[in-house]
Amino acid sequence: MGGSRKVGAAASAAFHTDLMIAAWLAIALAMLAVTSMSARAADSALSQLDQQCLACHSAKGLEMKLADGDKISLQVDGAAFAKSVHSKIGCAVCHASTSFENHPPIKTKIAGSRAYSIERTKVCDTCHAAISKLYEGSIHASLFRDGNTWAPVCTDCHSPHAVKAKAAYEASTGAPCSKCHDPIFKAYASSVHGQATLACSSCHNAHDVSPATTGDQLKNACLGCHQDVLAAHQKWLPNAKQHFDAVSCPACHSPAAKRKVDLRLYDNVAQERVAEKEGVPEFESRVRSVDAKGAGLDAMALHSLLRGFNREGIDNKTTLRGRLEVSTGVEAHQLTRSAQAIRDCAKCHQQGADPFQSVTVSIVGPDGRPVRAGAKPEVLNSMISVDSVGGFYAIGGTRIKLLDWLLALAVLGGIGAPLGHMTVRWLFKKYAKRIGGKEDS
Amino acid sequence: MQRIYVHPLPVRIWHWINALGFVSMIVTGFQIRYIGLIDLMSFRTAVVVHDWIGFVLIGNFFIWLLFYLFSDKIRVYHPELSPMKHFRASFRQAMYYGYGIFKGEPNPHHVSVYEKFNSMQSMSYQVIMLLLVPIQFWTGVLLWDVKRFSGMIDLLGGVRVVDTAHVLIFIFFSGFIFMHIYLATLGHTRMAHIESMFTGYEEIEEEHGDAR
Repeated sequence: MGGSRKVGAAASAAFHTDLMIAAWLAIALAMLAVTSMSARAADSALSQLDQQCLACHSAKGLEMKLADGDKISLQVDGAAFAKSVHSKIGCAVCHASTSFENHPPIKTKIAGSRAYSIERTKVCDTCHAAISKLYEGSIHASLFRDGNTWAPVCTDCHSPHAVKAKAAYEASTGAPCSKCHDPIFKAYASSVHGQATLACSSCHNAHDVSPATTGDQLKNACLGCHQDVLAAHQKWLPNAKQHFDAVSCPACHSPAAKRKVDLRLYDNVAQERVAEKEGVPEFESRVRSVDAKGAGLDAMALHSLLRGFNREGIDNKTTLRGRLEVSTGVEAHQLTRSAQAIRDCAKCHQQGADPFQSVTVSIVGPDGRPVRAGAKPEVLNSMISVDSVGGFYAIGGTRIKLLDWLLALAVLGGIGAPLGHMTVRWLFKKYAKRIGGKEDS
Repeated sequence: MQRIYVHPLPVRIWHWINALGFVSMIVTGFQIRYIGLIDLMSFRTAVVVHDWIGFVLIGNFFIWLLFYLFSDKIRVYHPELSPMKHFRASFRQAMYYGYGIFKGEPNPHHVSVYEKFNSMQSMSYQVIMLLLVPIQFWTGVLLWDVKRFSGMIDLLGGVRVVDTAHVLIFIFFSGFIFMHIYLATLGHTRMAHIESMFTGYEEIEEEHGDAR
């Protein structure tokens, strides 16, 4: 009896142990199920077919070796894709050439990740033709056509499997622009616009990004929001409209910036900036021909350069129009509150003012960006400039030195001649009797 | 001593407004062009004052123009059509200022109602009043609102061309004003011509009488 009680007790203990293990296992399984369910919850918005794709393509480290030796990740973050605007159309729309029969497509190896990105833009174009057209006119597309390997295509800005809605772009991080333009974004982030978390595209547009220093897009972007700004300037700034034409907004509104003058070749007949002819760039060679040493164009060289552009066709067709701007793109993004902007006219309108110590001459290059040549500051103060730089003048700041001498001569003559005349009269009066004349009244 | 009425009221009003205006324009012109070197007022104040007085002077110019256009006094500005006669008279006048005046010789020019200018003055004032002053006003208006008149400015060769013309005439007037004041003291007394520009009457002596 005693022995059977012992056996019963041992069996009971073993049963309890098994029960505990089973309970722990059940809890662990339940936790695993909950975790798995929550992980799949995001994917549940995706179609069954997409989920089938993700069954393999969510695997970490899934990648493909490319022809150039580079590797491309084949992993897709299911949760991010589910949230993307493309989740509704699913994998197959963009990857239409891929089917279960030919997958994985290993017959033709992809040349490289850049080549693949470029090839995929055709897929984007099928739905986003209008945006693609905007992009085609952008500086990014120009750079791309020129063979610039850093020029962004669709997938460089829009992570292909996590394309966000327009409103979801995070202005505070500057993404995706800051990926390439980080120094500019850092400067911008502390500016008055950066602190107001305006996105880059607010001024630069998202797809038809134009070169900052050609065209009126940026000026118009400023005036687009600050609509009453001309009237506000006219209240205190003489010739406000002319200032708007000849001075870029950041030149005053980025007060710490270094400023310079860009003399732009301007076609008076076409009423636009002169651009390099397609395929036959001539600006740099013309500059070299008048400034062989590359020391910077002096007044005579600038005059010759202009004459070179006017040799064929209408006389004075090409002139120079100056614009006062900030030296770098970073400085152009350091805009401050209007109370801190430059209002002191003397900053520019006096001899030796800093904007006139740095001068460039420019033409619009083939990619839409300006091609510049350095010029000596004297081009703004030379008498020859009356002809060659007729379209740019800042009273006081770019005055012609010869006229200063003429003025000094006129004033000295105006004072000196009467004094001399009076002296001679006095001398004659004093010695009148000796020389036989009459005393002057 | 004979008193003749050579400066009618409209001419005197025009003259003194013009005198004050031109002095102000020269002072503000210096300030605008030489900020940093001269600091009488801010650049902006100088520009605003220069603009306003400029318009006052343009209006004032029309007092002068309309008076002479509708008065027989315009004869004082009639040019001497015989070049030889004009040259001889100018030479005589120049000889007087350059030599005769020192010896106390009489002024070869005799002031009358219709001939208040000697031949040198006559030529100078035709150039000044009909060429330099209108060009100065015109270029000044163009520079007052460069954008509004951009078409005309481009036609003339650009803002720097217009400004250079404006500055060249400014240089002329900056020198001329001293000469003008000095010549005005060469009457039979130092204040004779200046007083006549207030009263309108010039006192004529047989052997004296001179430029304003």
